[in-house]
Formats: sequence, structure tokens, C-alpha cells
Amino acid sequence: MELLSLSFLIFLPLIGAIILFGPWFPQNEVKIRRFAKGFAGLVFIYSLFFIAFFDPIKKGFQFEETVPWITPLGINYSVAIDGISIILVVLTAFLVLLAVIASKYSITKRHKLYYSLILILETAILGVFTAKDLFLFLLFWEIELIPMYFLIAIWGTGRKEYSAMKFILYTFAGSIFMIAAILGIVFYNLTKTGALTFDLNTYTYMKSLAYPTELGILAFIGFFLAFAVKLPVVPFHTWLPDAHVDAPTPVSMLLAGILLKMGGYGLIRMNLQILPEILGILAPIIVVLGVINIIYAAIVALAQTDLKKLVAYSSVSHMGIVLLGIGAMNAAGVSGAVFQMAAHGVISAGLFMVVGVIYLRTHTREIEQLGGLGQNASRIMYLAMVIALGSLGLPLLMGFAAETLAFYGAFISNTEYIQVMTVIAAVGVIFTAAYILWMFQRVFFGNIFEKWRHFHDATPHELVILISLVLVIVVFGVNPGGLTDIFGPTVENLMALGV
Amino acid sequence: MQLLPEIILIFFILITLVLSFTLKKERINLIVWLSVSGIILSLVSIGFTSQGEAFYGTFVSNSYVNIFRAIILPGTLITLFLSKHYIKSTGEFYFFLLTATLGAMLLCGANDLVMLFIALETLSISSFILAGYAKHDKLSNEAALKYLVFGAASTGVMLFGFSFIYGITAETNLSLISAYLGGYEVNYILIIAFLLMLAGFGFKISAVPFHSWAPDVYEGAPLPVAAYLSVVSKAAGFAILMRFLGMLFPDTLLFSIIIATVAAITMTLGNLAALGQQNIRRLMAYSSVAHAGYLLMGLAVMTYKGMTAVIFYLVTYLFMNFGVWAAIEIFSAITGRENVDDYRGLSYKHRYFTLGLALCLLSLAGIPFTAGFFSKFYLFTTVAVAGYKYMPLLVIGLANTAIALFYYMRIVKALYVTPPDKTQYIDFKKSPFALKAILTATVAGVVLIGIFASPVIEFIVRNA
Repeated sequence: MELLSLSFLIFLPLIGAIILFGPWFPQNEVKIRRFAKGFAGLVFIYSLFFIAFFDPIKKGFQFEETVPWITPLGINYSVAIDGISIILVVLTAFLVLLAVIASKYSITKRHKLYYSLILILETAILGVFTAKDLFLFLLFWEIELIPMYFLIAIWGTGRKEYSAMKFILYTFAGSIFMIAAILGIVFYNLTKTGALTFDLNTYTYMKSLAYPTELGILAFIGFFLAFAVKLPVVPFHTWLPDAHVDAPTPVSMLLAGILLKMGGYGLIRMNLQILPEILGILAPIIVVLGVINIIYAAIVALAQTDLKKLVAYSSVSHMGIVLLGIGAMNAAGVSGAVFQMAAHGVISAGLFMVVGVIYLRTHTREIEQLGGLGQNASRIMYLAMVIALGSLGLPLLMGFAAETLAFYGAFISNTEYIQVMTVIAAVGVIFTAAYILWMFQRVFFGNIFEKWRHFHDATPHELVILISLVLVIVVFGVNPGGLTDIFGPTVENLMALGV
Repeated sequence: MQLLPEIILIFFILITLVLSFTLKKERINLIVWLSVSGIILSLVSIGFTSQGEAFYGTFVSNSYVNIFRAIILPGTLITLFLSKHYIKSTGEFYFFLLTATLGAMLLCGANDLVMLFIALETLSISSFILAGYAKHDKLSNEAALKYLVFGAASTGVMLFGFSFIYGITAETNLSLISAYLGGYEVNYILIIAFLLMLAGFGFKISAVPFHSWAPDVYEGAPLPVAAYLSVVSKAAGFAILMRFLGMLFPDTLLFSIIIATVAAITMTLGNLAALGQQNIRRLMAYSSVAHAGYLLMGLAVMTYKGMTAVIFYLVTYLFMNFGVWAAIEIFSAITGRENVDDYRGLSYKHRYFTLGLALCLLSLAGIPFTAGFFSKFYLFTTVAVAGYKYMPLLVIGLANTAIALFYYMRIVKALYVTPPDKTQYIDFKKSPFALKAILTATVAGVVLIGIFASPVIEFIVRNA
């Protein structure tokens, strides 16, 4: 076994969960949290080694590990990463670590179960981003549902059981279309080449088959529905505000920061790589959906009175940019989409963290009830400001680089009507600026209410989380090349393959 | 000896029968252990069974039959352990249980219409008695009567179908009938015969529209019997149905469509009906109807792969379903309650019990890293690779798994999410060791097959 083993990275959190959940581990809250923090930190540090030894120029997958698994069906246990997935792997490890740290204040019961589930969730998400086998991808995709369901349903607030059930049913209903699509293309490959295989390489990097248009469109729609629920794309987004609002803060961070990225990752990995010629046909629709996402969610966000709901809709709006970038079908657009996923992962986690910090002290999320919090908590305000400005796309922050890249890609694209759509989408950014700034002004500026005079500034835990998020936002905003150098060659390679 | 396992079983059945009249009540345990050793011996003897026809071709023993013997016997073994503490009064119970098992095993290898009918009746009549075994319980009586009436009617209809077959071919031996039908044009008489016989088998496997006995019987019958019917009896039904179809009606698109329709209706109705159930046993009854629908999908495609998928599904179903039933028995033996709501907040105090139950339920729902996910995936794959014409069936099957997830999650939600009602006072220490062992073993099976599915599938593919 090599020193850098992807499988070890994937299953490290699971090992942690088993150690934590077993009867041998003491029922001591502090010890449990410390252990979970340590393990999440370990995973994060280990994941950084992969970036250090990753060769961006090399084509195709790296760090591949393949073991035959279910041979009668041609299924392998096979994991590997390329430039796109490594970004998301590190993002996952990073955000899980922050979420575990953030759990100190918001989680007050059943600690053992909670931290075990978080670690299991991490394994599942890492599995999704590294799977190099369609079956394995599907398997991790569905495992992820169970811990997430419990995390919302047990530790949430409000209509938590309803929201959790809605989340799991929506995602599961979406994923059955993906199963149908996977079986469809696998069967087509079987009839053409006589080999029953689920290996992703056969369908993406070493792709030699062009699918007949009808089958291709059906498979495309199947994949798209699964990822559209997750991303979410507007008609399928209704689970998201419920789930986000009712989940506890750390879980919201993970939900917005990583889980939505699974949808975007799936679109790039499956729809773009397996069925590029179909994407060529359907790209105008994807672009329109993306623009609807951006504008509609931004307008809905403007009308929200609940702070967390506002942030949730801003997530939907930002994910529209991912759709737009993918719909552009060129290297710049897809790079923009990947960049946006990373940027939004960090920024939305930050926004949810800020909301959580406020909720913890005031026990309300109504914007009306808040105001002037900056007077008491200047550190929170300044850190929140950087995150909020990053969200609306201020230059030199991470969100700006992502949006610019995606819009640039969209504007030079050959997709029909995309230029018009890009202009409309750019208008949506104005809405984003409006609701973010308006929200920020109402929450932090002005005079503080009498009832919040005990509102205290950030604790060391919160500072660590917010500062590390802000650092990432600033560093990759000033130097976007640090990120694009990693995934850029992969994206260009993808696009050169025959899109 | 082609019938070695059956002969060993008969030997033990006779001993059990004699002992159940002569032994004192306090020593009833002897009968249980005797039955257990009989089953184990019979299981071991599968390895020494020679293949081929027996009794002038009325019975056939081959690796296919052996696989089903190896599903039925462990199923019975688990049922014995489930019954050990549930049935305290008398020993005849074990006699009937073993007789039903004998019927089930003979049914798998029956190669003659008469043999098939006798085996089916051996299984059915024993099952009727078992279902009504709690004779002072009103529900149990109702269950037995309902089961009997439905059973008698459907067997009658099936016999009618047999008579058509005999009328066409003038043979009762399945191999000869198969040879005759090989060159026979499909006409309406054959279609009617097929439909009539489907009624008989449909009753055994609880396919819609012959399923309506299931909820009442599962609710009213003694719990181990319900578990037995949902797994062993169903496995035997599928064994003979698959052989029957494979031999008599291979590759006929019309019959394939009929079975696909029955499959689609069965799983959809089963799942929809399960959504509203409060009683966990009724819920499991509808879930077992729905699973019959999934299994029929594998039959509908009429390929070799489809057959192996059905067998693999049955193997995993054995584990996950018995796991749930064992958990239900542990719970209801102590609390006497059977509603989903009574399970609220059980996870707070009984972490490992709930984990086991939840794993089995998630396996039934088809969530990964459990056996159920693999068996569903394998089944769906075989349906997909059978051709584009089965795509609608595939989509219906997939949609059904989404519906099913809802009601399985409802139980899991009650276990984990809802705050404890009164369940924190329940003490599982009193529950018998045998039940806990069964739960542990089935959960281990569910998880192990969930990770190492390949050897099992390969074994089935090689031998079926």
C-alpha cells in the first residue's frame, strides 16, 4: 500500500465513527468532541498531501486504486481523482473540520451519535467525489442520505422531521432516475462492445461511443434530474429552504457547502463527460434554467424576513451560475462553474456560520428583530462583511473570480442565445448585491435594541472558523490562479476530448 | 439418494410427532432441539445428495433445487428459534412446522403435476394450521380461516389450470409436457391455463390480486409463523414458479408481459397500502407483498440472469426480513405492543437493538452497504440488460423503491428521531438469548452480504 491511499482517506472518517460510536468510548461530551475534532483535522491534513502530490498536467485520473468487487456485474471498487474532484475533496475535509468545531455551541444532546454521523457523512461525500465506478458513485450517493436525514431530523429546529423527510424523499426520488440512466448507458455499452462494465473511464476519458440521440436524451434527463434535485435547479428546489432552515448550524454549513456541490460535480462528471453531444443539444435549456435560478432565487431572497431562509435562497441563486457555466460548454465556462462551486462552498458555509452565531445569542432569525449588532460585536461584523461581500462578488474576493470566469465563458460561448441570457443573469447579480447589502445593513448597522445589549462578540471557536473561512476567501480571491492551476488543465483536457 | 434431505426430515418429523404426545410439558425443549438437529442434519446432507430424477421422474434434484433447499432450511431453523419462546404449550407446533418445510422442499423439486400439487398442499395445509395455532386468539382464528378459504380457492383454480395442460399434452410429467409444448403454438387455451395456474402460485407468493390474505394472516398468526410465511413459503413458491415457467413457457413475450404487469401492480399496490399502516406487522405484510412484486420482475424478463437475481434477492430477503421479525418479536414479547408509534425513541436507551432493526429496515428499503441494496441493484441491472422493452418495468420498479423508502423511514424515524415516550423503561435484558442471537446473526448477514456480495452472486450464477 502506498503512503497516499485514497481509500484510506475515504474510510478514515468511518474508522473514526466506529471508534466513537462503540461502547468503549467514554460518554464524556468534551472527550467525544475533542476526538471528532482531532479526526476531522487528521483527514483534512491528509487530504492536503494529495494536493501537494497532485500533478495537474497529467491527463485523466490519478491516485487510482482498483479492486474487482462484484465480478459477475463487472463492478469494481475503484477510486481516483482528477483536477475537479481534488478541489472538492479538500473542500469537504476543510468544511467538515470547521463544522465539527462549530458544533460546540449548537449541539447539546446525543453527542456520540452526532459526531459519528458527521464522520460517516464525510466518508460518503468523499466517496462520491472520488468514485471512479458508476456503481460506487451511486452507492456513496445514496449512503449520504441516511446520516444527513438524522442530522436534520434529530438536532434540527422547527419542522425538522418534515424537512428531513422531504430532503431524503426528494433526493432519493431524483437518484432513481440516475439509476435508470446508468443502467441505460451500461446496457448500451454492453450491446455495442459486449463488455458489462461500470468503469467511469470507459464512459468518460476513454469514451469511444456516441449514444443514439433518443437514448442519450433520456439518459441525460435521468442524470440531470438526480443532480437538479441536489444542486438545486429551480422547480426542484423546494426541499432546500426547509432543510437549510431547520438544520442546525454546522449541518447547514455542510449542506450548503458540500452537498449542493455533489449536484454540480455530478453534472460535470456525468452529463458533461458522458453525454457531451447531448449537452450540446440541450445546452440552451440548461442555460435558461440557470438564469431562472439566478433571477428567481434572488428575487425570492429579497422578500425573505428569515435570515437563514435568505441565505438558503442565495445558495440557490449562486448555483445558477454553475448551470450557466456548464451550459457555456467551453473551458472558461466550466472552469467558472468549478470555481463557483469551491467559492460558494466556502462563502455559504461562512454565511450560515454567521447566521448560527447570531441565532445562538438571540434565538431569533427574523431580520426585523435584529439590528445594530455591529455595535456590540465588531469582530463578527467585519468578518461577516468580508463573507457577505464575497457572496455578492466584490473584486479581489473569491466570489468575484468565480462569477467573472463563468460569465466570461458564457459570453464567448457558441451556445444559442447565451449572450442574451448572460446579460439577464448579470442583472441578477444586482439583485444579489441588493439583498445581501440590505440584509447586512438591517442586521449589523443602526442602533442596537435594548434586549440585545448582552449580545457578546465572537468566542475563540467562532473566530477560528470565521477567520479561516475569510482567509480562504481572500487568498483565492486575490490569487485565483492558485485554484485554477489545479483544475484548469483537467477542464481543458475535458473540453478537448470532444465536447 | 436424490431425496436424502427430505428423508432425514421425514425421520425427524415422525420422532417429533411421537414425542409431542408422549413427552411431559416441561420437557418440550427436547422437541425443539430435536427439530433443530433434524434441520441441521438435513442441511448438511444437501452436500451428499446425488443429482437426477427420483420416483419415476416425479422429483428432480439438481443444484438449483439444492440452492432452494439451502434457503428453506436455514429459514426454518430461524423460525424454530423464533418459536422457542413464543410457542410454549405444545410440541405439535414443531411437527407442523417441519411438515410445512418438507412440503416446501418437495415443491422446489417437484417435476410432475401431481407431485407439485401434493407438495403444495402439504405446505399449505400445515401453514393453515400454523396460522391458527393460537387457538384462543380471535385474530389468529380469523387469520387461519381467511388463509384456508383463499388457499383452497386458489389451489382449486390452479388444479383447473393443470387439467387444461393435461388436456393439451396428455402428460403430467413436467419434462414431457415441456417437450410437447416446445412445438406447440400459443393459443387461448394455453393462455387460460397459464392464467389459472398463475392464480395458485400467486397465492403462495402473495402477488396482487391474490394477496388479500397476507395482512390479516401476518397480523393474526403467531409471530414466527408470519415470519415463516413471509420468507420460506414465498421462497418455495418462487422456486417452483420459476422452474415451471422456465420449463413450460420459455421466451413467450405474451406471458412475459402478463408477469410484468402482475409485478408492476403487485409492488405498487403493496407499497401504497403499506404507507398508511400503523400496525408494524400489517406494514411488514404489505412490504412483503411489495417485495414479491420486485421478485416477479426478475421472472418477467425470463432470462438466466433474471433467475439468478431472484435467487440472490431471496437469499438477502431471508436475512433482512427475519431480522425485522426477530426484532418485532423481541419488542412485542416484552411490551405486548405492535404499533409503529410504540417504537418511539427506542434508540435512546437500546442502542444496539435499534441499530440492528434499523439496518434490516434500511436493507429492505435498499440503502447501500446493506444486502438489500445489492440485491435490488442486481435485479434492476438484469431487468435493464434484458432489453429496452423492459424499461417501463424498470422505471416502475425504481419509482416503487422511492415510495417504499417513505414507510421504512417512518419506523426508523420513530426509533431515532422522536423523543422517548415510555420506551426508556423497557428492559431487554429479559428477552431470550435465542432471539438476540438471531437478530445479531441476521444483521451480520445483512452487513456482510452488503460488503462482500460477489462470492454469493458468483456461487448462485455457477450453480443455478
